[in-house]
Amino acid sequence: MLKRFRLEEPESANEACELLGRFGESAKVYAGGTELLLAMKEGLVDYERLVNIKKLGLNQIKRDNGTIHIGALCTHRQLETAPDLQRSLPALVKLERNVANVRVRQVGTLGGNLCFAEPHADPGTLLIALGAKIIAEKGAAKREIAAESFFVDAYETRLAADELLTEIQVPVPPAHCGVEYLKFGYLERPSVGVAIALTARDGKKSVGDIRIAVGCAGPAPKRVAEAEALLKGKSTEEAIRSLPRAGEVAGRAAQAISDLHGSQEYKEHIVGVLLKRAFQSALSQC
Amino acid sequence: MQFQKDVEIRAPREKVWNFIWDVDRFISCLPGCKDAKTIEAGKRYSATMVEKVGPFKVEFPTTIEVLETEKLTRIKAQAAGTDNKISSRLKVELEVNLKGEGESTSLSFVAGVDIVGKLAALGHGIIKRKADQALDEFVQAVKQRLEGDS
Repeated sequence: MLKRFRLEEPESANEACELLGRFGESAKVYAGGTELLLAMKEGLVDYERLVNIKKLGLNQIKRDNGTIHIGALCTHRQLETAPDLQRSLPALVKLERNVANVRVRQVGTLGGNLCFAEPHADPGTLLIALGAKIIAEKGAAKREIAAESFFVDAYETRLAADELLTEIQVPVPPAHCGVEYLKFGYLERPSVGVAIALTARDGKKSVGDIRIAVGCAGPAPKRVAEAEALLKGKSTEEAIRSLPRAGEVAGRAAQAISDLHGSQEYKEHIVGVLLKRAFQSALSQC
Repeated sequence: MQFQKDVEIRAPREKVWNFIWDVDRFISCLPGCKDAKTIEAGKRYSATMVEKVGPFKVEFPTTIEVLETEKLTRIKAQAAGTDNKISSRLKVELEVNLKGEGESTSLSFVAGVDIVGKLAALGHGIIKRKADQALDEFVQAVKQRLEGDS
């Protein structure tokens, strides 16, 4: 049963931040509401006020100077069906197509997904591998937070209580770049997710830049620089030989948590398997 | 959920023992534990455990009952509390063991923690990790307090 609350309807991001600052912990941003309202119905959280930001128009997808600007209120469904993204970020489109179910994707927003920071969410992991930036606003102040440092812990982000996530900026992958996100899980709940973005050089004879991120297995998605270092700049053959080692490193870095969906060791192993497959798939796209 | 935390403290066993029974100071070492009260000295105490995971907050008014004691060696206790707001229950079975001679004491905490109710929706793994972190902070705070005292 949902308790009574007051719905605030700000007309600007500035006004929304002002409301969040004024009411502190008794208020929460309301975007898609797919996770927030469930938690409220369950009585796990209790807010006197919800600050509805749906009317702020933060649902545009634009591209300029090699960057894709995704409004925080873009729904998963919108991202899944955006023709521009299909061309420039097919890996994100594929990910979005597999988020939860169509009812959730129809109303759930990318910004809401990132802010809620539920450990078993997919987008954060891929956005880290893509080198995305999270734009946070508070009044006239605006700051960029690298996706890789946005997530602090389970359900915790770097966003201040009176800041509003307004946009996600994703650099368009360069030529000869392959991007893949693979996940493993039971029904709609991923228990391991691995993302790789890599560039190939010399006609795929060597690996240029590479970014690897792991998520879902542990409390928060994270970049694994140590695994990247094992593959970056290496000949493709050498990199392929190093994949088991990179998988082990990434598995440990995932801080996998044992639960009903698998033990820590099992999830670490799956990280290695997915990393190998994601590498091969990303390389094949270059 | 089972936890075990061991810590070496540069302090004589008697000092560590007395610190444990200085319930206000001892309990304040546990992150999120407040309002410790003695109901019956050496037998029953109460405290409130507050924990936060992102936006989720729990507050367990808890009763702690001392079940067995062996002076300078062992304490067995159990704690139970209910957060009515989110319909969740906490039950802790705790065994504290002290060993050592002279100026050094090995202090060991063995805890069995059960949490049932809606809080479990956050996921057993997340709760276990949070509890493990809290216990790590707890033993380090106990060590610091005891070694910091002259």
